[in-house]
Amino acid sequence: MQSHSSSIQPPGRPVTAQAPAGTWLIRLPANGSLLLDKRALFAVLSLSVLLLGAVVLALCLGTTNYSPAEVIEALLGGGNPMTAFILNELRLPRVVAGILSGAGFALAGCLMQTLARNRLATPGIIGIDNGATAFAIASVVGLVTSLAPPEMALIGAATATALAFGLAGGAGTRGYRFIIAGIGIGALFGAFTQLMLARAHIDVANQAYPWTVGSLNARPENAVLYMAIGLAVGIVAALALARALKVLRFSEPVALGLGVRVNACRYLSLVLAVTLTALAVAVAGPVGLVGLIGPEIARHLSSTRTVPLASSALAGALVMVLADTVGRMMLSPVEVPVGIVTAIVGGPYLLWILLVSPRNTP
Amino acid sequence: MTDTHLTPSGSRRLLPIMAAALVLLGLVCFISLLIGAGNIGPADALAVLLGQGSDDARFVVGELRLPRTLVGVVVGATLAISGALLQAVTRNPLAEPGLLGVSAGSAFAVALALALGASAATLKVSVAQIGALLGCLCALGAARLRGVGDDPVRLVLAGAALSSLLIALTSLLLLIDLGTADEIRFWIVGSVAGRSLDHLSEIFPSVLLAGVITVLIARPLAALALGERVAVGLGHRPGLVRLLAVLSVALLVGGATAVAGPIAFVGLVVPFVARSLAGPDIRRTLWLCLPLGPLVVVIADILSRVLVQPSELPLGVLTAMIGAPVLVAVVRARRLPTL
Repeated sequence: MQSHSSSIQPPGRPVTAQAPAGTWLIRLPANGSLLLDKRALFAVLSLSVLLLGAVVLALCLGTTNYSPAEVIEALLGGGNPMTAFILNELRLPRVVAGILSGAGFALAGCLMQTLARNRLATPGIIGIDNGATAFAIASVVGLVTSLAPPEMALIGAATATALAFGLAGGAGTRGYRFIIAGIGIGALFGAFTQLMLARAHIDVANQAYPWTVGSLNARPENAVLYMAIGLAVGIVAALALARALKVLRFSEPVALGLGVRVNACRYLSLVLAVTLTALAVAVAGPVGLVGLIGPEIARHLSSTRTVPLASSALAGALVMVLADTVGRMMLSPVEVPVGIVTAIVGGPYLLWILLVSPRNTP
Repeated sequence: MTDTHLTPSGSRRLLPIMAAALVLLGLVCFISLLIGAGNIGPADALAVLLGQGSDDARFVVGELRLPRTLVGVVVGATLAISGALLQAVTRNPLAEPGLLGVSAGSAFAVALALALGASAATLKVSVAQIGALLGCLCALGAARLRGVGDDPVRLVLAGAALSSLLIALTSLLLLIDLGTADEIRFWIVGSVAGRSLDHLSEIFPSVLLAGVITVLIARPLAALALGERVAVGLGHRPGLVRLLAVLSVALLVGGATAVAGPIAFVGLVVPFVARSLAGPDIRRTLWLCLPLGPLVVVIADILSRVLVQPSELPLGVLTAMIGAPVLVAVVRARRLPTL
């Protein structure tokens, strides 16, 4: 037996990394590199521009309309005090709340849809919205005095998720039973909310009513702060998970074979989705369907190669701000809560997906 | 409806269950007359029933609790039977008028009619029934779509989507037209409180018609459960049967909604229990729904008076509390019960 040291000869030309079609390869120092998908990047940029436009629109329109120049002047601190008051104290917080909660809902929706491999999976559908609302209202009406509504919303969302998981029995997020159990749990929590509102004093009940409907009117300050922190942490975490999530879309054996820690990734994504939803509910109440529409828009604009996390967040913020503006302008001076606008626009779209898309497409 | 020469042992088993259910219903109705949110306690109410009792007590028991109990009985029966029919027609154990948006369609139709200027009392019943019919047709149409009909979950999801859309539209309508909002604010929540016997007499003709239709199609429905080809082979006409069933459901749900507002989950819970007691034959299920539906609704109504004394909870809240666990239990079974 001859043993000769065989060395595998490299090809004639030096091997350099070729970026796949449609991506940009950015070389970092120390032999690192960053692969960016062109279409995803384009989606993020265009959505950011659209969001900026929507924000300007939201600040300009209202019971009194201002021009963009006046808006910018007021934001920078000058201009008419009355204008500055309306813009800075009334409209700006609302827009900020809308951006944050919309981004939160949509990001949570995107995570959930990736986990469930089903474009219909939103946290709302499995009752998280109602659970968070019920617990938050328990705090508002004074049943629970030690915790503030945002914290209660978090606990409520976690409880609803745990219930949906536990009661669905097996198959986890992938089974349909999860969704049906979620509908039941959502209805149950809704009933409890009504129970609490019925027992509360009428003033307290009126105070608690906006929580049930999904509105950006007069949002509690600390809730918005929590949301901002939560969203910042959430986006960072989601981007860190992005790579693993991309691979997770294949089957589990493939993902495991590629070195992704499947269970840790799934668990973390679920926790992230639930937390983001709870914080968003604490800010805006149970606004349905943003977690469905946002990721759908992002998916259309972005490529299928990536999981459109950043685009979803931007699209969700866009939808929320636009819906709120429409809600304010539609029946001026009566304000239509943003939850109703998203339900009216998103409902037919959801029906379209459910009824028209072919059976095996999730 | 039950042919005694077909399955003698089966019909013997149904009778004791029916009798027990009827006795239980009688008992529960009696309790309903005794209990209330106000200060006429059971003792006073008992006195009224025995012939004595103060005028106040007699008023409360005779004018408030008795009609309320009777309305609850009728609403329970109609919703339960409509649920059973809908499940038979869509071949989906999760089909329920509330979940599929039929009740929401009814409510929206009434709100729309009121907003467009109709007066509250007269048109309510027929409008509610038209709304229910449209909702039913949507549900049936969706169930016939390839891919949706085979998957029970998709139909329920589509129903939930339709329902939430209709509820949002109704809320929008109530925001626009505050006059309408005032008129139907208490009705839209779903309750049998304050309902009188006049309401019942309004829906009596249509409920009677629906009952006649149900009796006529009971046997073809049972044949339909064996499969469309077998039914055709036996001489029935599946399309006509389905259409008549849908008409019956619309009349029943529209009537119930016109009186008590949109109430969900009754059409899910009661047929489920009835089916587990009576077996797969739709005729026996329908018979059993007749006492069980009122039983569930009157119990829910009693609880609604007791839980938040001295005020009352809407009936829909109670039915959701009872119905949601049942929904989860149905889904948890290893296989979804097939029809």
